[in-house]
Amino acid sequence: MRLIKQYFLLISVMLYGTIQSFAADAKQRFPKPEFDSGYTQPQTTAASPRMIFLEYLDVLILLVVLSVVTWFVLKKRSRKGVFWTSVFSLLYFGFYREGCICSIGSIQNVVLGIIDPTYAIPLTALLFFLLPLIFSLFFGRTFCAGACPLGAIQDIVAIRPIELPKWIQKVLGLIPYLYLGLAVLYVATKSEFIICRYDPFVGLFRFDAPYNMLILGILFLAVGVFVARPYCRFFCPYGVLLGWMSKFSSRHMTITPAACIQCKLCSNSCPFGAIDEPVAETGKRRSNVNRLMTYFVLLPLWIGIGGFAGSMMHVPLSRFNQTVYLAEQIVEHPEVKNDAKNIDVRTFMSSGKSTEQLVQEADAIRRQFYLGGWLLGGFMGLVIGTSLINLSTFRRRTDWEPNKTNCLSCARCMDYCPVKKE
Amino acid sequence: MDISKNDKIKLAQRIAWIAAGFALIMAVLLIANFVQTKLNKPIDNKTIPALVKRLSESPGDETLKAEIRAFDLMARKAYFTSQWQIRTGSYLMFLGIIISILAIRFVLSAKSKLNEIDKANEVAGLDKLVAQKWVIYVGSGLVVLALVSGFLSSNSLKEYMVNENIVAVEDPATIPTASTEQVAAPIEQTTQSAIPVTNENVTTDVVTPANPSETAIVEVAAKPAGLPTQSELKANYPFFRGAEGIGVASQKNTPTDWNGAGGKNVVWKVKVPKSGFSSPIIWGDQLFVTGADAQARMVYCYDKNSGKLLWEAAADNIQGSPSGMPKVTADTGLAAPTMATDGRAVFAIFATGDVIALDMNGKRLWARNLGVPDNHYGHGSSLIIYKDNLLIQYDTNRSGKLLALDTQTGTTAWETARNSKISWSSPILVNTGSRTEVILTTNPNVNGYDPQTGKELWNIACLSGEVGPSSGYADGMVFAANEYAKLVGIKIGATPEIVWEADEFLPEVSSPLAINGLVFIATTYGVFACIDAKTGEKLWDQEYGDAFYSSPIYADGKVYITDMSGKTHIVKATKDYQLIGTSELGEKAVCSPVFSDGKVYLRGMNNLYCLGAN
Repeated sequence: MRLIKQYFLLISVMLYGTIQSFAADAKQRFPKPEFDSGYTQPQTTAASPRMIFLEYLDVLILLVVLSVVTWFVLKKRSRKGVFWTSVFSLLYFGFYREGCICSIGSIQNVVLGIIDPTYAIPLTALLFFLLPLIFSLFFGRTFCAGACPLGAIQDIVAIRPIELPKWIQKVLGLIPYLYLGLAVLYVATKSEFIICRYDPFVGLFRFDAPYNMLILGILFLAVGVFVARPYCRFFCPYGVLLGWMSKFSSRHMTITPAACIQCKLCSNSCPFGAIDEPVAETGKRRSNVNRLMTYFVLLPLWIGIGGFAGSMMHVPLSRFNQTVYLAEQIVEHPEVKNDAKNIDVRTFMSSGKSTEQLVQEADAIRRQFYLGGWLLGGFMGLVIGTSLINLSTFRRRTDWEPNKTNCLSCARCMDYCPVKKE
Repeated sequence: MDISKNDKIKLAQRIAWIAAGFALIMAVLLIANFVQTKLNKPIDNKTIPALVKRLSESPGDETLKAEIRAFDLMARKAYFTSQWQIRTGSYLMFLGIIISILAIRFVLSAKSKLNEIDKANEVAGLDKLVAQKWVIYVGSGLVVLALVSGFLSSNSLKEYMVNENIVAVEDPATIPTASTEQVAAPIEQTTQSAIPVTNENVTTDVVTPANPSETAIVEVAAKPAGLPTQSELKANYPFFRGAEGIGVASQKNTPTDWNGAGGKNVVWKVKVPKSGFSSPIIWGDQLFVTGADAQARMVYCYDKNSGKLLWEAAADNIQGSPSGMPKVTADTGLAAPTMATDGRAVFAIFATGDVIALDMNGKRLWARNLGVPDNHYGHGSSLIIYKDNLLIQYDTNRSGKLLALDTQTGTTAWETARNSKISWSSPILVNTGSRTEVILTTNPNVNGYDPQTGKELWNIACLSGEVGPSSGYADGMVFAANEYAKLVGIKIGATPEIVWEADEFLPEVSSPLAINGLVFIATTYGVFACIDAKTGEKLWDQEYGDAFYSSPIYADGKVYITDMSGKTHIVKATKDYQLIGTSELGEKAVCSPVFSDGKVYLRGMNNLYCLGAN
């Protein structure tokens, strides 16, 4: 995520460009102390960026890991192989690369690249975004199985998993969509890279994070002992995209290598609730169809109401933007202008900008949030509406099958299947 | 040695317990370390600042310096040791957790080949219906939550923009990110949009607003050519406290004896329709005052010779003007600021933030609302004009700024943000010999600005509290004061500095007057004092008993100071106290006397007086 961090800094620079451009001409705000002892101040040096060769090496390793884990899932059908590949990913992408660069965070780079024509997305970030999606489109979510360090660390601690009731899974399953929408909104308004900022595991990978984030990471792992991979299933915004791709995968893993013998052994193997059982239609067909039609009719209503509700949220949502926050602070509490310890206010005061300019800027950003709120709310309405439609559609199934959207291709179920390759 | 499967499981279980216990101990130690560093941050050690303070009192104390260095080194060592402990502890805890997890996984895999999950007890088919129900509940809950939080959250930015008459922009990137110098744009740039059209003797400008924010300007300006000369300004009485706003009038033969109640030397007396505490201004034969109440904000023009009301104009139908009046106190009101004129037009500002420009016949030239000033007493700062710019000190509870409006169009020529608290003082214009400065007082600063560009030239933090008095000026010295703060003499020039400070007599509302090497201070506890302008030493003081809100004005060798009972005390502007006389108005007064053609004009609480020999 180092690259992402750099780009986050770039955003900060853009947001506070004026302040910084002023500072460049101004005196140092914190002049270096002068010593009488003859001590000479060393030159300030910035950390060198990672060598471009090593960045491409990361991409190559991702490609190799994806290929290997896909091979283990589809060809070798080896849970052990998948597990140890994920351990390698945890060590390399997690502890060695300290969680940066990562495919989950790369969503933000891609969005910024689309929104901001002045931002050139690095090829490595783009490849980290695209490669897992491409693999998912053909082979299912093998990235989640063995290449994602966040998934790997949770998978290791999933010692005593329990299956959550379906309604809880469905309700919690709405969160990743919301998280994805918020992440896009905050990048589109050049406010924040929230996926990186609130990554619960990056602090563990680096042994360095604010305590609240460390505690959050530990909490996720503690919950993960019983609820397998809680972040992957109920938070990961990239998982939404992977699920969409995987749904259309033509060579997704199968539980049995040959014909299913209906032994039901696999039914208790999946800690993610991602195995669809054989079903026959229940209830009266007419009422089922009526319900489905009602949900179809209500879909635009969900989108409209969601959009309106999202637009209503634009004021609180925009408060996470630093410019808006600063403007509100100054407008609501003008006395902060005299607070010598408030570094943001001091920087603003020395920028030469007037409060009116700051307020104009914040208001323009807030209006972006208004539009973004409509889109986010509409998107969530669409998600809820389609979830209801999906829950009321009926597809006849005679065998136990992996749910292509939710299956993480971890290969646990294969271990349980007594059927061997013919 | 052959170890049985059971022994392996037992061993793994013990390893798991020991590793988990070790990780737990590490976690406790880390938390203890965290709490300790939170409670007693080594880098926030209070000893060092105390020692540094002692060092500032005795800078040559080498022992103390060594002691500070030792403490500093110790604090740094403590900080980095703490960091090392956290890092090492984290590694050890993590190692314990990993070992414990691996051991547990081994136990589980050794006990059973299949690690089955605990299934939820669900009835196939029904769970979908339950899930639908919960998705609807949660979806609806999210919508309600969003709507409620949307309704409950107030958009203070929008309210601020409405109050301050700020126009929204589409793209934040288009907002000019000016430095102070850029803010102070040359006036030529802002008036480029004015297209001159010749119409007999009057040049009329068809005004195109310089930017969308100027849409509040309502009318085409009629501009008589040329700017007033300094002698023109001095011959008239165009601003609060005279031609420079410093309380010095150029008029001669000023009267010293009148009695408003008895009619002695009262040339005329008129009742001003609406009340206000703005002092009169005079240009030629015209005298202007403002008055306001909740119904209307008015500008009145009188014939200064006869007292006849020539015209009146309402400051109404101004875009952005509030429908309700802002809360003001009775002793400030809605029309406290004194008007300004350049002889081509007159300008008035009210507590609503409405600024109006009228030609000398009362025809509106332009009007705009600056945003209702957040002022708990009411806006009090008077207007002053420099060349083509109407200067407005707009220090409110929300922000402070010095504004320059183009006198012809009302467009903002420049605007300078001020790092100031709210004030009620007025700008003064002084010529230092090398340049002209507009000088403002507020809490905590006395500032000098370039009146052409708005660039801050200097500032000295020396005042406190709610600053009402404007500053005085004479001979390169600025005199600023406020009650409960101090009176300072500031020598301005290349490096402005405070020359002296005094705190025996301090004004609360009345502004200092500097003349003939003397500074006159009128207090709200009824004392009128004279201070040496060079040293700050008191030369004399006289207790008159009644409070002074009015400011002392110098004219024709005399100083006029009117107390709140309406008595004007006239003293010689000398080092010795020499009372020339005391004249009564017959009603309470807080306005300052105005002089023109051998007459003094004084506004009482209800009436406006022209006083002097008939």
